Amino acid sequence: MVLLREKEQEVTLTMNEQPVMVFKDVVKVYPLPAGDVTALDDISFQVERGEFISVMGPSGSGKSTLLNLMGCLDTPTSGDISISGTRIRDMSDVELTNLRRDRIGFIFQYFNLFPLLNIIENVTFPMMLKSQKAVDPEKGKEVLRSVQLDDSLFTHTPTEVSGGQQQRVSIARALINDPDILLCDEPTGNLDSKTGAGIMDLMSELNRKGTTIIMVTHDSHIAEYSRRTIRIADGRIVE
Amino acid sequence: MIFWEIAKRNIRIHMLRSTLAMLGIVIGVVAIASMGILGNSLVSTVSESLSSVGDSVTVSPYSGGGGGMMGGGGGGGTSVNLKLSDQNFQQIKRAVAPNVAIPVLSTSERMKVGVGSDDIVATIYGVDPQYIPDLKLVLTAGDYNNGNSGCLIGSTFAEDHNIKVGSRISIGSDGEKGTLRVTGIIEERGMSFDLSTDNAIVATQDWFDNTYNRNDYDQIIVKVKEGQDTADVKTIIEKQLNKRDKIVSVMDSKATLATIYSTFGMVTTFVTAIGGISMVVAGVSIFNIMMMSVNERIKEIGIMRSIGTQKKEVMSMFIYEAAIIGVIGSIVGGILSIVAGYLISALMLGSTKYLITMANALSVGEGICFGIVVCLACGIYPAWQAANLNPIDALRHE
Repeated sequence: MVLLREKEQEVTLTMNEQPVMVFKDVVKVYPLPAGDVTALDDISFQVERGEFISVMGPSGSGKSTLLNLMGCLDTPTSGDISISGTRIRDMSDVELTNLRRDRIGFIFQYFNLFPLLNIIENVTFPMMLKSQKAVDPEKGKEVLRSVQLDDSLFTHTPTEVSGGQQQRVSIARALINDPDILLCDEPTGNLDSKTGAGIMDLMSELNRKGTTIIMVTHDSHIAEYSRRTIRIADGRIVE
Repeated sequence: MIFWEIAKRNIRIHMLRSTLAMLGIVIGVVAIASMGILGNSLVSTVSESLSSVGDSVTVSPYSGGGGGMMGGGGGGGTSVNLKLSDQNFQQIKRAVAPNVAIPVLSTSERMKVGVGSDDIVATIYGVDPQYIPDLKLVLTAGDYNNGNSGCLIGSTFAEDHNIKVGSRISIGSDGEKGTLRVTGIIEERGMSFDLSTDNAIVATQDWFDNTYNRNDYDQIIVKVKEGQDTADVKTIIEKQLNKRDKIVSVMDSKATLATIYSTFGMVTTFVTAIGGISMVVAGVSIFNIMMMSVNERIKEIGIMRSIGTQKKEVMSMFIYEAAIIGVIGSIVGGILSIVAGYLISALMLGSTKYLITMANALSVGEGICFGIVVCLACGIYPAWQAANLNPIDALRHE
C-alpha cells in the first residue's frame, strides 16, 4: 500500500516536472508560387509549468506563426513540438482540436466572444464541447467571479459590456477547462492603458496561482509583467 | 446542444432573411403538393365515372383503311355508314358465351318535348329490354320499358328539359317518327364505355327497327362475368371476326381504363414537376442564404475551431439552421397546400369530396419531405465549406 502511494507520488511529480511545451528544431516553411517562405527557422525552446513568458518581435518576424504552432492550429514543416509530453506532429485534425479544447486556453486581442451567446454561455462553451452535453453553469459563474466580473453581467450579451469586461469573459472562457497553458495574443491591444493594466494584474495573479502563460505582444510595458521574454527576428530566436 | 441553440438564435436574429427563405420553401411545397392533390382528385373523379363499366368489351365496326364494310343498313340519321350485321352479332354471342353480348343501335335525332317547344338534339339508343338488367342501368324513377313506345331517359336530359315519368317526346323535327313515352329515369352514370345515357334516350330495339328500318347494329357490348379477364374476351372476338380482314374494332374497358389512369398519372407527374421548379428556385435561395450565413460568420467559425470545436460540430450548426428553415417552411407549406388543393379542386373540378384521401395525404407528405430534403441538400455544401475553413485564415478574417 505504501509502495503504491510512493509510486503515485512519483508519477505526479514526473507529470508536474515535465515541461508544458517543448519546441525542438522547429522549422515552418510556407510554399508560395513565388518561392518558399521560411517563417520559423530552427526554433528550440521549452516552457516550464508556471512560467509567464512574453514573445516579442517586429512585424513579420514569425510571432504569429509561432503562436499558431503553440496553439496547435498549425503543424511544423520539420522538428518536434510537444504539449504536456504529447507530440503534435502526427496528430489528426480531430486530435489537435481535442488538444486545443482540453490543454490550451486562448485569449485574443479582440476578445472574440460569440455574439449570439450570453456571457455565461460564452464561458461554458468549451465545457460543453468537452462534455458533449448541457453543463452546470455554476462552474462558469465561479470562474467569472475569479476574474472579477460582477454577477449582474452574467446574462448579458458580449456587446452589452465594456471591452475590459469582455476580455475578462474571454479569460474566464480560456480557463474553464483548466488548461495547461494560456496563449494570449496582444491581450491588452484593444484596451485603454488603465483597463489593460487591470487585465495584466489579473493575468499576473493567475500566474502566481500556477497558470502557465505565454503572451505575444508588441508592448514592452506589458511584457514587463512576464518573467521571461523570448525575442524573435527573421524566424529565429535572438534572445 | 449549444449548436442547435446557436442555429435557432441565428435564424431569429436574421428573421426577415430566414422568413423569406422559408417562404420560398412554402411556395415550393404548396406548388408540389397542391398539384398532386389536383391530379389525385382528377383521377378520383374520373375513376368514379368509369369504374362501373370496367367489365365491358365494346365491339364496333372497323373504320380504318376502308375495310370491314358489312351489312346493309338504313341510314337512320347516322352520319357514318358502318354497321355490324346480325351474323356478326351471332358470331360474337357464340364466341363470348357464357358472357352476355348486347346489340345496340344508336342515332342522333331531333325531337320535341311538349307542344311548341324548341327542337332538341339527343342520342337515341335502341336496346332489347331483356338486356337492360345486364347493362346495370339504375333507375331513379319509374320502371323499365313498358311496351314498344316506352323509353328510359338520362337524368341530365330529364333535368335539363324538365321531363318526368309519363312525359311524351315527339321524335323528328315535326314528330314524323312517332312519340316515345318516358317510363323511367336513369341514374347519372358519367362517362361510359358502353352507353352514355345521361343525356340520351334508351328506346326498345323493336321501336328503333320499325322507326328507322334497321336490321343491323352500331355496336355490340359484351358484359364480362366476374372472374374472367376482359383482355381474354377481346382476344377471342378479334380471333373470331378479324381472321382475314379487320372488320371490327374491339375496345377492352379495363385496358382503356388503365391507359387513362396512366395518362392521368403522367399528367399529375408533369404538373407536379412544374411545381418542383419552384422548389428548385427555393433551394437556390436556401443555398444562397446559407452561403451568406457562412461568409458572415467566418471569424466566429475560426474562434470556434481554435477553442476546440470539431469540424463536424461546425457542420452540424449550419445543417441545423437549414433543417429549421426546411421543417418550418415545409410544414407551413403542407398545411397551406391542403387549403390550395381545396380551392383548386373546388374551382377546377367543382367538387372537393376527394380532398381527404390517402393519395392526397401522400402528396402532402411527399411535398413536405421534398421540401426538407431540398433544404438539407442545399445546406450541406455551405456547412461543409464552413467546417473545412482553415482556422488560421478564419481567425484573421475581418
